Amino acid sequence: MIASGIKRGTAELAVLSILESGALHGYEIARRIEDQTKGSLRFTLAALYPMLYRMEKQRWIRGAWETSPNGRRRRCYRLTPAGKKKLTPLRGEWSQLFVALRRLAGVSNV
Amino acid sequence: MSDWKENDWNELVRSRLAGLALDPADRDEVQAELVAHLEETYEAFRADGLTEQHAVQRTLALAGNWQDLQRRISLAKNGGLPMKNRLHQIWFPGLLIFALFTIFLFLFEQLPFQPHLVASGIGYLPWLLPLPFLGALAAYLSFRAGGSRSASLFASLFPALGLAFAFLFMFPAGFFLERLFGWHVSFRTVATDLLRSPIISLLAPAIALLLGALPLQFLLSRRPTPSAKAIS
Repeated sequence: MIASGIKRGTAELAVLSILESGALHGYEIARRIEDQTKGSLRFTLAALYPMLYRMEKQRWIRGAWETSPNGRRRRCYRLTPAGKKKLTPLRGEWSQLFVALRRLAGVSNV
Repeated sequence: MSDWKENDWNELVRSRLAGLALDPADRDEVQAELVAHLEETYEAFRADGLTEQHAVQRTLALAGNWQDLQRRISLAKNGGLPMKNRLHQIWFPGLLIFALFTIFLFLFEQLPFQPHLVASGIGYLPWLLPLPFLGALAAYLSFRAGGSRSASLFASLFPALGLAFAFLFMFPAGFFLERLFGWHVSFRTVATDLLRSPIISLLAPAIALLLGALPLQFLLSRRPTPSAKAIS
């Protein structure tokens, strides 16, 4: 498991990356992140939704109510142009950090 | 015992997040979103073969600490600390128009009027005319700072509420100052004016402020209705 401080920092990157492939609602965002990180990143409601609302306020993502074919209403989030713009440098920053940590820790296979 | 349904989650979320410091419309939206999330999580656990009791327990564990969730959502939605928000949404616009209101009142008192016009209330029109603009200004500043409808309404009515407050407390304050310190405090001029015509002194400015605030509130609060679309 990854320490909580790093998790918090990477959470925004995780959400923006997941939304790059298309609009998703909160449950689906959390489920896909958990699946794709093999359970290393797992969101509680208190971690996920305040972050989504904050990112929405920063205009990186936009939420809208949509109705699925089975008639359920879900609030789906999609990446905005500002969010797409944010994702590139964010990826670069985290990549640099991981490279630096790898060098520092002497880990060869991170 | 039957399976948990949307209504059960709805009831649970609404009771646990009853103190969410948001606009009623925003609060309903957040609650509906969390209900949908919990419902879907629960159904996934059930589909994995968990018993109803275990599925409910696991779903509730995912929610974590409800108070923390409530606090963090309020902070995220309001974009800062509650005290800072109140300052920008209520106190700053309220005090600004209160200052302008006082200046207008002072200027009005400098104007020469024929007594019969003042007595009939018509003479107060020059003072009342700018008040809708002040009400609208406070509503705009409050909304721009993210204030709710009630916050912007409070800010817009601040001068009238200030007068009402002064009216209610000037007599007991005068009484205590006289009793405790022997000071003779005379609020005669203001008190006589307020008592003589509470409608013109309190109600008319309140209505004038609302005449500016309410239409602006209506315009600013109109949001496009989210259109229902199928998820592709």
